[in-house]
Amino acid sequence: MSTTHLLIELVLMPLVAFVVGLAMLLMLRKIGARLQRRVGPPLLQPLFDVIKLYSKRTQVSHGLLHEAGIVVAVGAYVAIETLVPVPGMNGIAEKGGLILLSYLMMVPSLGLALGVGQCANPNGSIGLSRAMTAMLAYDIPFMLVVFGVAWQFQTTNLVELVAVQQAGGIATWGIVENPLLAIAGLFGLQAMLGKQPFEIYVAPAEIATGPMVEMGGKFLGGLFVMQSFQFYTAGVLYTTMFLGGGENWFTFLIKIFVVVAIPLSVAFMFPRYRTEDMVRLVWKWPVILALLGLVVAVQ
Amino acid sequence: MSVLDQLLVFAFMTGAVASFIGDRRFAGTLLAILYFGQFLLLVKLAPLGYGAQPVVSAWQPALFGEVLVWRMDALGWYFALITVVAGWLVTWYASGEWGQGYRERGGNLGLMHTAVAANVVAMLLLLSSGNLLSLFVGWELVSWAGFLLMVMNGRESGGVSGPAGLRYITYATLGAMALLAALAIAHHASGSFEYIDLIDAVDQMTGPTRVSLVIAFALAFTIKMGLLPFHLWQAPAYAYSPGPGGAFLGAISSRVGLWGLAMVFGSLIGIGRIAGIELIPGWFDLRDVFMWVAALTIVLPTFTALRQNDARLLLAWHGIGQGGYMLLGLAAGDALGTGGGLMHVLNHASYQAPLFLAVFAVMHRTGTSDLNRLGGLVARMPLTFLVMLIGIIGLAGLPPMNGFVSKYLVYISLLRQGEPLLFILAVIGTLGTVLSVFKLLHNTFLGQLRVEHMEVREAPWSMLIPMLLMASVVVVTGTAPGLVLDWVASAQAALGLPVLDHTLGGAAGLDMLWVSGVLVYGFAVGTLLFLSGNKSRRVHQFDNYAGGHFLTAENQYQYSDQFYAGLMHHIGGWYRASFTWAESVVIASVDAMSAAANGFFRRTQAVFLLLLATLGSVAWLLWGVGS
Repeated sequence: MSTTHLLIELVLMPLVAFVVGLAMLLMLRKIGARLQRRVGPPLLQPLFDVIKLYSKRTQVSHGLLHEAGIVVAVGAYVAIETLVPVPGMNGIAEKGGLILLSYLMMVPSLGLALGVGQCANPNGSIGLSRAMTAMLAYDIPFMLVVFGVAWQFQTTNLVELVAVQQAGGIATWGIVENPLLAIAGLFGLQAMLGKQPFEIYVAPAEIATGPMVEMGGKFLGGLFVMQSFQFYTAGVLYTTMFLGGGENWFTFLIKIFVVVAIPLSVAFMFPRYRTEDMVRLVWKWPVILALLGLVVAVQ
Repeated sequence: MSVLDQLLVFAFMTGAVASFIGDRRFAGTLLAILYFGQFLLLVKLAPLGYGAQPVVSAWQPALFGEVLVWRMDALGWYFALITVVAGWLVTWYASGEWGQGYRERGGNLGLMHTAVAANVVAMLLLLSSGNLLSLFVGWELVSWAGFLLMVMNGRESGGVSGPAGLRYITYATLGAMALLAALAIAHHASGSFEYIDLIDAVDQMTGPTRVSLVIAFALAFTIKMGLLPFHLWQAPAYAYSPGPGGAFLGAISSRVGLWGLAMVFGSLIGIGRIAGIELIPGWFDLRDVFMWVAALTIVLPTFTALRQNDARLLLAWHGIGQGGYMLLGLAAGDALGTGGGLMHVLNHASYQAPLFLAVFAVMHRTGTSDLNRLGGLVARMPLTFLVMLIGIIGLAGLPPMNGFVSKYLVYISLLRQGEPLLFILAVIGTLGTVLSVFKLLHNTFLGQLRVEHMEVREAPWSMLIPMLLMASVVVVTGTAPGLVLDWVASAQAALGLPVLDHTLGGAAGLDMLWVSGVLVYGFAVGTLLFLSGNKSRRVHQFDNYAGGHFLTAENQYQYSDQFYAGLMHHIGGWYRASFTWAESVVIASVDAMSAAANGFFRRTQAVFLLLLATLGSVAWLLWGVGS
């Protein structure tokens, strides 16, 4: 691959992720609206929201770290998007892999945590404590799933993972080969996206939206962008591990939208759990499923 | 006189200078220069790190017909480099304001410098030991030098350091006895103290002899490493040492245990032979024991660290946990695992030392390391914050810092060997570390700045420069891990282990040059996006959402105590202090036995015992003469 080609991919991959991620945010709000018998926002509403937040006149900063935290939260996702393969573009996916990506996805959260920390608002810090606890909870089943998938396909390289599944057809997809791991992965996804019932760290009525309490203007806009990246990345990663990646953009988009639609739909049917109940739940069912899946994988 | 001799002489000289003039005002600077000299001599030995033949010392004193040999190979050089750099930078740190402050608080600065220098000399002697006899001499010197550093801080630590040091030396003595036993077994089997003869003799040993040799070595080295169940001594002993001394101990001191285990797993006995000792045939062997001990050492001390409220103890507990990753990699036995385990030694030293020093810098300015009495210091000590930030990302093992690379190699090794449970324990350790170090950073530097800290200044440059130098190592070797992996590969070759195939960017499908590159690119894009928004206005920390209340200097508006209340609500009951309980049982039984023996020998049955002893001696004499 020529250097120019690679440079184009490095620009294009985050850009596509941003656009698709915004569409997923729109989907989230549409699903919510339909379930509540509303019409929901128009097509370009997420984009308008971003522009509105960035161009607001009141932009309150609590210090350099508050600003740097938002930069890291968004910037790390820009970097992550170049490491996940999509149809026609591998970027630098060959230089990383599944394990690197699992850990790299903690960096945006760390950036957010630093930014929130400097806001000196205990509501934000309580939110962080809960978000960290949630991470400890869902990453255990998630890493078991990662291990299972890597063992099943004997590789942690995402490009190879997609190639193997596409060469063998649907019968070799992760979800067919090991449905238990796929279900455990979906469970983990729900918690990873921080949607109900796992959104205790936001808890608007109790801790005033937790990490977001001091965020406004482009700071909130940054988090908005971060969330769109997060939806996209989660969808792509799950599709790569279990649904054979994307043969072309048409099937790929269908797959990732379906994957993300599941947790988002589930979210609207549940209240939220307390932190300790969330930990208990996530350490029980997905872990059991993932361990069973591992037994199947290692056999 | 070889370069190794020059190095050892230079290290002795540094120690001598420290003991004579260590309490003078200029001593710290002079000593830092001397350490730098040692560092230059190690640079002269650098070919060792790239596959050169070992360097032998010309000085070979004989003791009762046995010769003490010193010889530095790639493994010893790698550890010695970390040791000397750690000693150099912590001494530099202590050379300015910190040392003055320590003396004003009544500390004995000269003794501290002497103790650090003694530790460096002892470790150099140990790391370049060329046979079992010099190994034992070095081992004892290291133990007692460490003890000196641990117990000298009585006044500053409020009398806690003394008992902690005594507890350490009790454990260390047990370890030394085990090493002596190993030496006895080895000498009995091979007829000499030379490594090479032992390696030959191992094949001829009977099963039980080999098992007892492995166990005796392992006991000595795991106690020094603070591996489960011998970990209780370490955290308080390191945490309450005088600042820079504690940083030195935490960074490298206990890793000589890993150095010893690497010798046992590598050249002396071999990981293959250890894996051949089956406990449950076909199911569980001695190597698995090491791996499980390592995995539990990762998890339990890490979650103990999570509960600490003193920054020093928190870090010291993590030091124990990180040792688990090193052993886990080493016991995995393949090129990836042993490479990751050995690399983790340097990585750990490079972030643990600046983390300790950052905590001591905060203590220097605020007088406390209690995580519930700090907060918001990022606005006053931004560079110290930066050091701690880089350090915790390294300690937590997140990209792009060096801690991630070594752990990655261990993960991949476990993955390829099909060890899901050990893998997940290693991951749980990492996640626990993320939680714990974020608490450390948050409670020290983030949140609300306390009223009494409004006037706090940044740490002085004499402390900042060494910290920043170490932090830069974390970043540089995270971006280009190949720099260290070259040395690690030479060490593997010296040990006879499989050698890790690597590039400048990493190994096993990981290229950190690219990963760090795209992160920089991503942050640049993030910055542009941020700047594209409307200009922001800085506000005071009291200008905050407070549910309709007005915040003033009287308000404590901070969340730090019981930081992970929700998690503890769930797992708090799992903390049972079983090891402390077990230790107290051992202490109580030893107490009871010694009281009984004391009563028996000295009071109750004195005459009877005298008679028994006389009869015994007579019988022994008769038999001795008869045969």
